[in-house]
Amino acid sequence: MPTLKIDHAKCTECRMCYVVCREIEINAVVVAPTSQHFFEIDERCTYPGCTVCLMYCPAAGSIVETETGRSVVPPPPEVWTENRRWPRLP
Amino acid sequence: MTSSIEKPGAALAEQLLKQSEADAAITPMDAVRDAARAGEFTNDQCFRLLARLWTLKRMMYYVYGGWAQGINLNEYPPAVAYLFGKQIHDDSTHEMQLCDEMLRRRWAPTQKTLFAHPYTQFGTATRTGSYIFCLRALANYPHNIRIAAHNLGPKAIELAWTEKLAKLFPDETIHALFQSQLAETRSHVMMGKFQVEQFVSKPVDIELAKRLGAETRRDYLFFLEETARFVLGMAEEKAGEVTVQADID
Repeated sequence: MPTLKIDHAKCTECRMCYVVCREIEINAVVVAPTSQHFFEIDERCTYPGCTVCLMYCPAAGSIVETETGRSVVPPPPEVWTENRRWPRLP
Repeated sequence: MTSSIEKPGAALAEQLLKQSEADAAITPMDAVRDAARAGEFTNDQCFRLLARLWTLKRMMYYVYGGWAQGINLNEYPPAVAYLFGKQIHDDSTHEMQLCDEMLRRRWAPTQKTLFAHPYTQFGTATRTGSYIFCLRALANYPHNIRIAAHNLGPKAIELAWTEKLAKLFPDETIHALFQSQLAETRSHVMMGKFQVEQFVSKPVDIELAKRLGAETRRDYLFFLEETARFVLGMAEEKAGEVTVQADID
């Protein structure tokens, strides 16, 4: 179950989340195979271990926690910490 | 009522579309579809198919980049620039979808390794290369001419084989992937028709559009043939190969 999801009413489809997720090789942001081609977050998402998409997303409220529905854009203080900005290598 | 004065390129648009529809009636992608339907399609062949289509879509950034440099301010109404921007965005989305699917199936662990995989390599001395350079060379022509050559040529052929593949491809995810791309590809053909009808009117432009349209269709069909042969594991076609002197810049 993905821990984050995209609120399509607020998302601007700028693709920054897709680009950064690819860049750090998690690949959890995908283009849905529907005719609208919305972006979705799949089960490969490692939130709260990785929060990099939240740092780049320009549209407030467009990424939310799946379980709580809480908006995490802009990132709340507890996710804006040094050890959560990037997936840590073992 | 719409008169021919309002749509000076209507006859040309119709002619180009008819030629593309004739070319699209049977393409090498039919063999790929038939093999998939017969259940003879291996995982590796599926990877080969998506990899070659992804390679082509990736190279469209290079093509459109060249074209975008040749859109002059106020040469056409803003709608033309908008439609071109939409086409770039849509083709980019298709590229991302193909990449997503290959990564999801773990055919490569990361995008970087996918770029380095032999199946996704772009070779200049290939038919994919020939087609891409043919499109890139259209940057030398006005935007209305290249849209006529591309959107009413290869795009119309792409729409036809994608429709067939989307309808009959047995793998559910890939079926959905092709199905989801149809609306946008169809829109590119319609955008091309609109632009040719409105903006290709001079006799010299009409002749150029016909000639360049024939060249791009031919090169696209060569690309499809190379792709189908690669996917189905058939030997490369050597007949009619064009050799180029090494000292040509």
